[in-house]
Amino acid sequence: MLHYLIRRILFGLATLLVITCAVYALVRHMPGTPLTLDLAEMSLDQQISGSEMKRLQQQYHLDRPWYVGYWLWLGNLSHGDLGRSIKEKKPVSRVIGERIPRTLLLSGTSLVLAYMLSLPLGLYSTARSGKLDERTISTFLYMLYAVPTFVAGLLLLVFFYKDLAGTPFQLEPGMHSRNYDQLSPLGQVLDIAKHMILPVICFTYGSLAYYSRFIKSNMEEVVRQDYIRTAKAKGVGPVRILLHHAFRNTLIPYVTMIGLTLPALIGGSVVLEYIFNWPGMGTLYLQALFQRDYPVIMGLTLIFSALTLLGQLLADILYAVVDPRISYQ
Amino acid sequence: MIVEREVMANETTINAPPAIGFWTEAWVRFRRQRLAMAGLIFVVFLALVAIFSPAIVGTKPLVCRYKDHLYFPALGYFYEAWENPIFMTDGVIYNYPQKMKEKDPQSWAVWPLLYQDPLRRVKDGEWEGMSGNPIGAGGVPSSRNLFGTNDLGEDVFAKMVHGTRIALVIGFVSTGIAAVIGIVVGAAAGFFGGWIDWMLSRAIEIMMCIPVLIIMLALISIIEEPTIWHLMVVIGVFGWTGIARLTRAEFLKLKQLEYVTAAKALGFRWPRLMFRHILPNALAPVIVPITFGIAAAILIESTLGFLGIGNPDKTSWGRLLSEGKENLQMWWLIVFPGAAIFLTVLAYNLIGEGIQQSTDPTLKASKH
Repeated sequence: MLHYLIRRILFGLATLLVITCAVYALVRHMPGTPLTLDLAEMSLDQQISGSEMKRLQQQYHLDRPWYVGYWLWLGNLSHGDLGRSIKEKKPVSRVIGERIPRTLLLSGTSLVLAYMLSLPLGLYSTARSGKLDERTISTFLYMLYAVPTFVAGLLLLVFFYKDLAGTPFQLEPGMHSRNYDQLSPLGQVLDIAKHMILPVICFTYGSLAYYSRFIKSNMEEVVRQDYIRTAKAKGVGPVRILLHHAFRNTLIPYVTMIGLTLPALIGGSVVLEYIFNWPGMGTLYLQALFQRDYPVIMGLTLIFSALTLLGQLLADILYAVVDPRISYQ
Repeated sequence: MIVEREVMANETTINAPPAIGFWTEAWVRFRRQRLAMAGLIFVVFLALVAIFSPAIVGTKPLVCRYKDHLYFPALGYFYEAWENPIFMTDGVIYNYPQKMKEKDPQSWAVWPLLYQDPLRRVKDGEWEGMSGNPIGAGGVPSSRNLFGTNDLGEDVFAKMVHGTRIALVIGFVSTGIAAVIGIVVGAAAGFFGGWIDWMLSRAIEIMMCIPVLIIMLALISIIEEPTIWHLMVVIGVFGWTGIARLTRAEFLKLKQLEYVTAAKALGFRWPRLMFRHILPNALAPVIVPITFGIAAAILIESTLGFLGIGNPDKTSWGRLLSEGKENLQMWWLIVFPGAAIFLTVLAYNLIGEGIQQSTDPTLKASKH
């Protein structure tokens, strides 16, 4: 197992190298540099002089070929330095560090919610398989799964932000209200929680639909097995069969899904945070792309890719943990 | 016993019906699934809308006689150069009904069902007795603008009808690219094994670890003037891993079978073995992720259009949604394109599941 882990981690590091190198080459070939884009926006008296421009170019290695720049970036990374954001004039690690908890707040909450809600839903649909209520739930979940998150997000905004404007039920995009600073600590928590409602719904419904369908299809396979029939013949009650005998065996694929959904949560954050103006990593990435803020793009790419890799590794390890038949060499 | 012998005797005399092929049988089973068929019918409907989009809604005549020549200006919606340049030089192009009469009183034309344009606002008096489109938030759906108008007064229905072409082409072309890459990589890995398999499997693993949307956004940003074709290539290049993995698994299984050994013994070389003998048998399970891939490609295109990345086409459904985000009170910019994307994705998912049910002999018939 240890040997396997080391190999996987080494392989993951190689993958990270490939991805970051490719992205570095890409961002350096984007039309416009952060400095020239800046110039176009500034008024004449603010413009950077020639010598100042040179100094900035040197600072960000824009005067060197991209592979040299990448090499220098790697060198800085090896002692934990991600560079400084060109726009925000702060270290990239600080800029990203501020955003990570905000994104995790959304994706973590929705992950927990989706897991907690999909269990009873999936089990219920298995127990009532073929009945009218199960068919209704299943059809509804199936349709829900095909609704693109940005469509759902916009519709929710139309209803809760526009149509309910003026009522106490109005929900706004953004992370907190305008008077956030004047609120008491408890009020601040409630305010953020209120702003989380819509994005969390959007984050959750897709995976909820997917997980409960997943549980149901797995359970249906297990329920047909011989040992379930044996349990029934012994006179075990239906609830106990479902929970104690059948469900345990569907746990294996279910647990491994945790790891596999991590990248989807991160990817989804770009679109959702954009819709709800949530100041997380996704919006930061879009903003950095538009502003050609190379160090931030690179830092985020590194984190996104590392999380994706970690998620897959986690899935494989969990696989071995919950299923003793699986071992890695 | 006697009865059985009689039946057997009968059977030898009766001509057996011609054997049903695998695909015919799959089609028979597919047709029995109502939901999958509904999905298929919807996609066929979309294809018809896409092909006949200039005839359904547009401002260019389908056929016209102008200065003693026959022209088909509506083809310009498919490809700009197909609209005869004479209309450009004569200044007819933005007001066919009035300008054509003005320049050539003898002219006649056959018009689309609805006079609205996907790319510009229809102005006052262009069409006899029809006022121009409203601008701004006033463009609610009406009998003139079935799905309302956007901020600039452009007709949403016209945009959506013409946008069908993008959705369909994106789906097929990018998934086509993904399928070709995926099948070739998967086939090579599964067929040759050894270090080729090792290398290709690692390449697949790397591709699967990439946060796709993140890299796609970076990739599209480097293209100076991205077009829909760039998008298709990018979506295709990132969408092949699932197909490759399935193809590889199928090849690993099939190359062990006797008929492949027999073909090898006959002296056929690897390209023939790979593509003539194994691939056709590996195709059925591979078609399922391809169908889902089409749905995913359409979703990605509309997501990018929604984020405003890559200079989305003016008729892209995703771009309409992004206009809706800026003008939330114009709900028609969200509801109609949103429903279109939802239904298209749902249709492809249903078809994919239908194919899975009808080609996989280990699955029981669907309960739906």
